[in-house]
Amino acid sequence: MSALHAVWRRNISETLAGALPIVLALGIWYVISAWNFAPASLLPSPVTVFRRFLVLLGDPQFLQNAGATLYRLFVGFGIAVMLGIGIGILAAGNRTVAALMQPVIRVLAPVPKIALYPALVLMFGFDHSSKIALVVADALFPILLATYQGAVAVDPKLVWSARAAGASQTRCLFTIVLTAALPSILTGARIGLIIACIVVFLAEMILSTDGLGQLLVRAARNFQTVDMFVPIIAISMLGLLLNAAFNMLSKRLLVGFPSQN
Amino acid sequence: MATDMIKIAGVSKVYDTTQRGRHVALGDISIDIAEGQFVSILGPSGCGKSTLLYILGGFVEATTGQVLVNGQKVTGPGPDRGPVFQEFALFPWKTVLGNVMYGPLQQGLSKEAATARARELLVLVHLQNYEGFYPKELSGGMKQRVALARTLAYGPKILLMDEPFGALDAYTRTRLQNELLDIWGRDRKTVMFVTHSVEEAVFLSDRVFVMTKSPGHIRKVFDIDLPRPRVRAELLLDRRYQDYVIAIERLMDEQIEEIA
Repeated sequence: MSALHAVWRRNISETLAGALPIVLALGIWYVISAWNFAPASLLPSPVTVFRRFLVLLGDPQFLQNAGATLYRLFVGFGIAVMLGIGIGILAAGNRTVAALMQPVIRVLAPVPKIALYPALVLMFGFDHSSKIALVVADALFPILLATYQGAVAVDPKLVWSARAAGASQTRCLFTIVLTAALPSILTGARIGLIIACIVVFLAEMILSTDGLGQLLVRAARNFQTVDMFVPIIAISMLGLLLNAAFNMLSKRLLVGFPSQN
Repeated sequence: MATDMIKIAGVSKVYDTTQRGRHVALGDISIDIAEGQFVSILGPSGCGKSTLLYILGGFVEATTGQVLVNGQKVTGPGPDRGPVFQEFALFPWKTVLGNVMYGPLQQGLSKEAATARARELLVLVHLQNYEGFYPKELSGGMKQRVALARTLAYGPKILLMDEPFGALDAYTRTRLQNELLDIWGRDRKTVMFVTHSVEEAVFLSDRVFVMTKSPGHIRKVFDIDLPRPRVRAELLLDRRYQDYVIAIERLMDEQIEEIA
């Protein structure tokens, strides 16, 4: 009981310590606007922004835009996860696949995918598809590389143990190797998720008719500075929630593995 | 003597390394092992004894020569040869029960039948109270018991043991040696046991193959003519046991001098 208590207390104090810099940043923001270092028309107070954020949470139009962003984020990230894990595992299990993939990855991974966005819009149109394609292109590589590295580093004796027990090579790859590589895969997926958040927002800012990024740009063009900050708050809240969800999922998936942090 | 269960004929293994060129890990090894024999491969680290075991398991391909098991050429891993590794190699995401059930499930048993089979084996290795534990929650000795149970669960005819007790403390090691002999005494599987401990090899085996280093080859074979069941405390006072240990120790000392 007391051990559990200690864990709880540590968790709470760690969370508090983590929240401190954020509180500090908000405090600085508040002080700057309250003491009129910057005019309120350019830098609104965080209180005003949060109040507006809460109001907009009940606004169907805002929610529709947030929904569009979420949809692109999840579909794009989901496709990136499936492709990244699939290709990464296949490359780890098959030398021909690895030989085919490696040069492609070396050429494509460093390309700033956002540069492809105008082309993607021309190809897929203004709607969801072009944003999703960009999210996939950007989130794919960290997931793919982490999967490949993790799968290659799996102890061969784990695989031998399964093979001797009667599992086929292919079965081993998709059960034993994939599972044993999970800690690495999840690290890649976490990075992919952060990148996906950034990229979907960027794409909407550059060229879009809806979404949180588009709301920001539209507000900025109209000098609605309060409305301009709201999407930023929204995306960072979203990131926080996704991170928490990801942590919960990781804990469940990685039960039995040596602890990560 | 029964027919040869394992025939290792002219097996060698050469690794092509980029830094050191060709490295001959195993020389020209030929060994025949009869069914039901407990055989140890004894040698200094780096002599290729584990490599020989991996080749027999079908995990590593021999550069030359071939291995026959029951007259069949070894081309890959199979459930007739069950490995037990020094590092346990348990599936960390599976519970003790899940690990032991793995083999029976792969062999096509139903979930109920596999569970029943796994529970039988957990009783055999005295871990029936730990079936819901994860490997990381167990001690080294317990992990190795799970690994042994996992391998025995799919009923291999041959056990390939790669320094299985090498990572354990002396006390646990002795206990597991006794338990292994106990289990082996029930159905007399063929065992190939790799170790660098002379006492362990003599205590457990019917035959001990002493290997030399680079390129690894068989230096000498000792037939261990000691009665079974063997009791460690009695053997320690047994002149024949002492003679085997001393003879093998001397042989290994000679090797060290030759290298030095």
